Amino acid sequence: MNKKEFLGRLSELIKDIPEEEKKDILFDYEEHFRIGLEKGRKEEEIAASLGDPKIIAKQSRASCILKEAEKTTSASNIIRAIFAAVGLGFFNLVIVLGPAIGLIGILVALFAASFAITVSGAAVLFGTLMGPVFAWSIYIPFAAVVSIPLGIGLTALGFLSIIGAFYLTKLFYKLCISYLKMNLQIITNRRNTR
Amino acid sequence: MNIQFKKGVLELCVLSMLDKEVCYGYELVNEISKSISISEGTIYPLLRRLKSEELVTTYLQESQEGPPRKYYKLTELGRKKEKELKKEWFTFVKDVNNFLKGSEKNE
Repeated sequence: MNKKEFLGRLSELIKDIPEEEKKDILFDYEEHFRIGLEKGRKEEEIAASLGDPKIIAKQSRASCILKEAEKTTSASNIIRAIFAAVGLGFFNLVIVLGPAIGLIGILVALFAASFAITVSGAAVLFGTLMGPVFAWSIYIPFAAVVSIPLGIGLTALGFLSIIGAFYLTKLFYKLCISYLKMNLQIITNRRNTR
Repeated sequence: MNIQFKKGVLELCVLSMLDKEVCYGYELVNEISKSISISEGTIYPLLRRLKSEELVTTYLQESQEGPPRKYYKLTELGRKKEKELKKEWFTFVKDVNNFLKGSEKNE
């Protein structure tokens, strides 16, 4: 592989990260080639000692995408970061993807439960108030004295748990980022040595 | 050298080299690969990580031989980290040495 091939391949492999970041990465390797050539080494020799562009690209992508996920909170960003980390090796399939699926499952269940509580509260309230109008189709087995406070209570509880679930999601997001950061640090240190 | 030993030590090597002088990337890679066999290309992602953790800063400086080069300089935080890692490393080496000497006597 010569200089052009090496840089071309690397640039192709990191094309989905922000332009500025990409330029910065390529600059480092261009400079490396340039100085190596000045010292009288051959392009092929420099490319060979730099190693596989694929490994370089994976590491650069993972840390870049993670940085983005930290800056702008969004579901798609964190999912991209998780997948970039998973791409770093089979090891990560187990220690990143596993817990990620577990956490997402818990969050989905929490939201579903909170939503169900809210809806059931609203239904009790609605049923009690509208009972006389739709008498043929609604049956509430409590007296209005019980069912109105019950309905209001359930709705409020549901709303509170939705808010709680949002906070928990935020917390999970932060935890996820720190975990991925630590993971990346360990993986890059492993990969740097051969 | 065993891969387990080298794991994680690379960061310390980079920081300790920068503690002595400012370097450009090629210099760092070259010096370190003289003593430790590494995939040279992966030292740049490490440098980018150190930069984003604010352990080093970079600046461009003209060189006599051609276009400007990117130099890496240790920050205060980086200096602190270097001292910390170095201390940990020496303690670790000392402990292992003591252990090995001890087990030799027992044999």
